[in-house]
Amino acid sequence: MAFLEVENVKKNFGGLVAVHDFDMTVEKGEIVGLIGPNGAGKTTLFNMIACFYPPDSGRVVFQGRDIVGMKPYQVCSLGIARTFQVTKPFLNSTVLENIMVGGFLRGSNAREARRIAMEILELLNFSDKKDAMGHEITTADQKRLELARSLATKPSLLLLDEVMAGLNPAEKVLLVDLLRRINSQGITLLTVEHDMRAVMSLCERIIVMNRGGKLVDGPPQRVANDQQAIAAYLGEEYVAT
Amino acid sequence: MVNHRSDLTKKVGGFTKPRAPLGLWMVGAVFFLFLIIPFFVRSPYSLHIFIMVFYFAFLGTAWNLVSMAGQLSLGHAALLGIGGYTSTLLFMEWGLTPWLGMLVGACVGGIIGGIIAYPAFRLRGPYFALTSIAFAEILRLYVENTEIGPFGIPLKAAMGLLVPLRGHAPAVFQFENKEAYYYIALLMMFVAVTICYLICRSRMGFYLAAIRSDQDAGEALGINSTKYKLMAMVISSALTALGGSFYAQYFFIINPDRAMGLAMSIEIATVGVMGGWQTVLGPTIGSILLTPTSELMRAYLGGATAGLDLMIYGLLIIIVVLFLPNGINDPLMRLVRRLEAHVPKTKIRAEKDTE
Repeated sequence: MAFLEVENVKKNFGGLVAVHDFDMTVEKGEIVGLIGPNGAGKTTLFNMIACFYPPDSGRVVFQGRDIVGMKPYQVCSLGIARTFQVTKPFLNSTVLENIMVGGFLRGSNAREARRIAMEILELLNFSDKKDAMGHEITTADQKRLELARSLATKPSLLLLDEVMAGLNPAEKVLLVDLLRRINSQGITLLTVEHDMRAVMSLCERIIVMNRGGKLVDGPPQRVANDQQAIAAYLGEEYVAT
Repeated sequence: MVNHRSDLTKKVGGFTKPRAPLGLWMVGAVFFLFLIIPFFVRSPYSLHIFIMVFYFAFLGTAWNLVSMAGQLSLGHAALLGIGGYTSTLLFMEWGLTPWLGMLVGACVGGIIGGIIAYPAFRLRGPYFALTSIAFAEILRLYVENTEIGPFGIPLKAAMGLLVPLRGHAPAVFQFENKEAYYYIALLMMFVAVTICYLICRSRMGFYLAAIRSDQDAGEALGINSTKYKLMAMVISSALTALGGSFYAQYFFIINPDRAMGLAMSIEIATVGVMGGWQTVLGPTIGSILLTPTSELMRAYLGGATAGLDLMIYGLLIIIVVLFLPNGINDPLMRLVRRLEAHVPKTKIRAEKDTE
């Protein structure tokens, strides 16, 4: 029984098949990357695991429990947290208050929520910005805020949706390091990414998607050398003969 | 337009305890003032104006809880009517003292408000507002045209209910002096504001602020938005229904046109929005400004040029909307913050450190 099992999942949008017959597993404590060209179905799959919408068929089993049909807030209770690709900070609240919203899931009152939020701020070296307003902070900080908020819900599985997008190389290095630290605290990570360097350095295992299906599933080195993966991303002509 | 004040700390006039102890002091001072006013002000009409200020502050604050959930309700008068009719009918038919009758009315109001809101919350923006208007109007029209309701309850149609006079009878919520109503209304206002304040500082308050800021983000953080919006609506409805019972006991009459009409719903909403939408003290401030204005305008100018009082009231609203789009709460808070800058630094820093 794996930590997360996606079994034979399909999703259509009208006539478009976004994901078909997709299987994957994630073991507890892993850092798994989900990559693929645009339109591969990564975001659709991601959203189904996060229960943003249900698959048309198939199962998503988390810690032995079929979560298909649950609402996002229910799976969050179970321990699945997610960030959004386009960050959604609560603009009219401070960074601390933003994180407290996450903290209230496990904290029984405001003091508890605040304590959890302060801990997270410490962990992410974010304490200096705690009183900044959501609309005042930079993109990089908004990403950190997304992360902080999700972490405050004390998840066991963290779903990251293109966290590297919009960051400069220096910021990316810091974020990769941060994610490793988070993982070392026992949180399993599943990340959708476009940034190859980040994925290669961060992930222990990479799943490549294309056209709604799985192409490769393995350690970074294997994926980097895989013919099909290269063909999918760069086109047939780049495949070494 | 970006609101530069923190949504989640829109507590007492926008401050939490450590941030501006001055704010709380000022509120306390004003409240103390209200407590002692009847010792100086004797005229029944002046006391009546104060009672109306507290009454609308109470209703506005109760109404505001739904705003906290991010919805604009323009049908709250219906709940007022439900509360008032319930307690009055219980008194008329069964002799139940309105002190208990109003609690029953609050329960009925809360339940009905919840039932109506539950499907309506899926509606965004103006559609919820329209639905609330529709609900209120349907209820009003029904009562207005029904002499005898279900189970033989005498609704008395358009004429409304007259509260049987008992003279000075505190046991059944009837007093012959204005002072008693004054303190009851003041207490109700205090209770409503306190409830609102406590909610804002609690999980419910944070969750409501999150929901109205970005519902999807909130759900991803474990917030059951429907549940919390419903909670806000039920509490709001129950409190508003209490206000309806007070209305009946103060005016001795309650009828569909006045108590359940659109005009009443709009008055309640206006007080809330003008004072500061989605803030704790906003409706109270709005009532303090608008209620005496409308009462006095009506008294002194109502007879003169037809509608002059309404014109001036309207002008006031236009001015507030143009220059203070976030309500009167905003500049008031800025003033308090500027004043607090003059308070000795040590005092504020000490309080900050304990947090």
